[in-house]
Amino acid sequence: MDEPDTEPPLVVVPGADSSSRQLCFAWGPAEVLVCETLFGRAGGSRSRCLSRSPCPFRFWGKGRAGAAARALTDSVAGTEDGAPTSSRVFVVRRDQDIYIQTLRKLFNESHGIFMGLQRSEEELAGKSRKAQLVQVSKNYRSVIRACMEDMHQAAVSTRDPALQAQYSTQVSILSAMELIWNLCEILFVEAATAGPLLLRLLDWVRLHVCDVDSMVREVLSSESPSKHKLFWNVVDIFVLQGRMDEARHLLSKEASANPTSVNMYKILDDLMKKMPVPSLSNTQTLTELELKWQHWHEECQRYLQDGTFASNPHMESICKILLGDEDAILEKKELMTTWYHFLVTRLLYSHPTVKPMELRFYAQSSMDLFLGGESSPEPLDLILMAAFEFEMHQVIKECSIVLSNWWFVAHLTDLLDHCKLLQSHNLYFGSNMREFLLLEYASGLFSHHSLWQLGVDYFDHCPEYGRVYLELHIERIPLSTEQKALKVLRICEQRQMHEQVRSICKIMAMKALRNNRLGSALSWSIRAKDAAFATLISDRFLKDYCERGCFSDLDLIDNLGPSMLLSDRLTFLGKYREFHRLYGEKRFPEAARLLLTLMTAHIAPCSFWMTLLTDALPLLEQKEVIFSAEQTYELMRCLEDLTAGNSDKQKFQDDDIETTKVEMLRLALARNLARVIIKEGTVEGS
Amino acid sequence: QVSVINTVDTSHEDMIHDAQMDYYGTRLATCSSDRSVKIFDVRNGGQILIADLRGHEGPVWQVAWAHPMYGNILASCSYDRKVIVWKEENGTWEKTYEYTGHDSSVNSVCWAPHDYGLILACGSSDGAISLLSYTGDGQWEVKKISNAHTIGCNAVSWAPAVVPGSLIEQPSSQKPNYIKRFASGGCDNLVKIWKEEEGQWKEEQKLEAHSDWVRDVAWAPSIGLPTSTIASCSQDGRVFIWTCDDASGNSWSPKLLHKFNDVVWHVSWSITANILAVSGGDNKVTLWKESVDGLWACISDVNKGQGGVSAVTEGQQNEQ
Repeated sequence: MDEPDTEPPLVVVPGADSSSRQLCFAWGPAEVLVCETLFGRAGGSRSRCLSRSPCPFRFWGKGRAGAAARALTDSVAGTEDGAPTSSRVFVVRRDQDIYIQTLRKLFNESHGIFMGLQRSEEELAGKSRKAQLVQVSKNYRSVIRACMEDMHQAAVSTRDPALQAQYSTQVSILSAMELIWNLCEILFVEAATAGPLLLRLLDWVRLHVCDVDSMVREVLSSESPSKHKLFWNVVDIFVLQGRMDEARHLLSKEASANPTSVNMYKILDDLMKKMPVPSLSNTQTLTELELKWQHWHEECQRYLQDGTFASNPHMESICKILLGDEDAILEKKELMTTWYHFLVTRLLYSHPTVKPMELRFYAQSSMDLFLGGESSPEPLDLILMAAFEFEMHQVIKECSIVLSNWWFVAHLTDLLDHCKLLQSHNLYFGSNMREFLLLEYASGLFSHHSLWQLGVDYFDHCPEYGRVYLELHIERIPLSTEQKALKVLRICEQRQMHEQVRSICKIMAMKALRNNRLGSALSWSIRAKDAAFATLISDRFLKDYCERGCFSDLDLIDNLGPSMLLSDRLTFLGKYREFHRLYGEKRFPEAARLLLTLMTAHIAPCSFWMTLLTDALPLLEQKEVIFSAEQTYELMRCLEDLTAGNSDKQKFQDDDIETTKVEMLRLALARNLARVIIKEGTVEGS
Repeated sequence: QVSVINTVDTSHEDMIHDAQMDYYGTRLATCSSDRSVKIFDVRNGGQILIADLRGHEGPVWQVAWAHPMYGNILASCSYDRKVIVWKEENGTWEKTYEYTGHDSSVNSVCWAPHDYGLILACGSSDGAISLLSYTGDGQWEVKKISNAHTIGCNAVSWAPAVVPGSLIEQPSSQKPNYIKRFASGGCDNLVKIWKEEEGQWKEEQKLEAHSDWVRDVAWAPSIGLPTSTIASCSQDGRVFIWTCDDASGNSWSPKLLHKFNDVVWHVSWSITANILAVSGGDNKVTLWKESVDGLWACISDVNKGQGGVSAVTEGQQNEQ
């Protein structure tokens, strides 16, 4: 498990080619910053030995993917101005695929399928469950194909050669993904058994390997198809792919055009018609099939040995193929184009009842025979081979290494996990393969300004670390608009992520405050239950009132409700505003009572008492007496408390206005007292 | 797959010593030997210079962004023995606080987890570590740990905030009892862990494994496990991963990540703590990840230079 599988890939950061600098770096939320520097501080510099000796590494064992390498050869030119050091900072990132517009559909739609799978009925057992999972697999594949289509359209319609190249590459990558997925579906999800296995593999080959259609069209649309130079190629490929009816149909054209070969044709046609193939319905057992096939095989053998087809090399070669003659099949290498096509053809004509577990032997030998030592297997070949060998983990690992993002392996592994095929492997740190890959995939989504929302759902379905990963990532989403902040908040609230809710509300409150939007700041700090901040903002409101004589954001303050109790200052703000409202509605006695309570119950800060008392003035000056005697005494006491407290600190030259106010108040209070004593002393009706 | 997506030309006139992204990856702060601190807006692959902050009288070694709930705040430390806290007010960046209590170059600054308030730890070549706490109304309180490391302190890194006991939502008026901890590395070859007890900072642990000056320490973010992890790197070329399994923080055990052939200057964790970046010798940054069997493996190499690849991969031997 520990043998080195790949060397750690080297990412070259283009920059000034200076060999005496080092790299300084820092993590961003989704990237790494890199810049040239020279380490060594005054507090401890040592001369550095900048040797270029090799640096040994330990490699990742089974189950984890390294990043694929891509050296940047078309790099940005270095600084030209001859400056000794590069003043540039490089931002290095993974998973750039999320920014490709045409792949957006892939991410969005596969998300829907993923969610559907997570929520699907687990109670369904046996066949119906399997059918359900196969359907999910097919859905994923159709999404890949749809994406391929879009990408292909984009490639065709663009004029920019660089873009075209990029799209074309994407198309071939998606095509490879679908190929692999399809095979995995057959072998793992559907777990096709001997018999149907071959049929599925035939379908697979027909769908994915070598594009026959254009050739077929060309031949069929010509005047005399049998004379067409590609005629036999088409017949051959039909035979190689087990498309007997189509092959026979073409051969009949040859027969009618060439009367001399009619007999040969009839025999061949007959053989092809009679060929026993596995069926999807259970009308025959494997043993029956094998028996029939044996007989048929012998019949073909007889005809060949009798020299029936000797005069027509094409037909003879077809007969040999029917007999599963490897050399004959290999001759058609160019038509088959891949070793796995060769594999399936071989199986069709030599061992149609192949069992899943036998595939590995045939696969290995097919690849060896086909490549014949001329070329070595490519990554795709190795992945398919691993699949034929039923090494699921190997498949996942190889795919992780080769593909540029986690999409494929994350979703495939999740599906395989639902098929209960991955139970046996647990990774060291307690998580498992499925979760590991989903975490990686979802983390990658978070650096995107809108795809992050998909990431949330993926994290939700990672039972071990999903929540904490979500907590760490969701805090890093830039809250560029109020809308976005609310969206993020909703997500946090739904999951009871209280810390994050508080944090986000505090951030928004601070932002609003900086932009002088007091109302917004206040409502955010209430939501954050941040008493200190609420106090701060309430003070600002009150200060504003003192300076301008009116409140901003009245709606908010009027409707504070119970959240008023968050902070004393806030309560005061709310109540003070209520006082103003009562006054405006001419409900003077209530207003008066409230005003007094604000001071006596110490809800109002001392600094504000003067303002409150000044507010009391108009009430004192009303025609009707509002304050009772007791209340007036209270007011007088408040005033005295206030002036007594301040007299030591008061700077008289500044506070002429203050002293005048105090005098006015005293006068008004005294007058009120006089009136109210009379009023209260007067007996009703006398 | 890793690729360069953006290049920011900072126009610093001298060596850059540190570059840090803000919390959201929208702003970049850089500092340099040219004594300036620059802030760029890097959204959507752009680079707009927002501020060019002058105030230091010597090379600026590090910058650190505070949590956005406190506003846009940046700290910087320099050879000129000063720590400056900058704040964005009404769209402009200004100095909001300057601390001059160190006798020698200040090498490292690190903001505490936002849950603790606005607190900055600073490590200096005078061997002391100072903790600056914002108490409100433009006031800062200073606590100093003198002689934290003999000869000098090179790095400080805070432990993530973990509330002991249950995690039920607490009313805002009641501050949860956080146990504040941070790690420091110094010229005495030691990594030390400090804990606040009754308002005083005490040395809780001494981690010995390096044979030369410790240049950087990094405490890994928490992913909910009861273990704590610290990475340390040193002039002796070694990088250690220290883990502590029990919550009381008593038994730390080191694991050698790798021995490089040259001084290792810098280590840093990704935000979900699953990747450790290490500046190795050979002008490289290597990325490491913990493997299936608990061993650490290098997953990628970031190198600067043009075109030349595999200088590293020839003749590899496992030196462990």
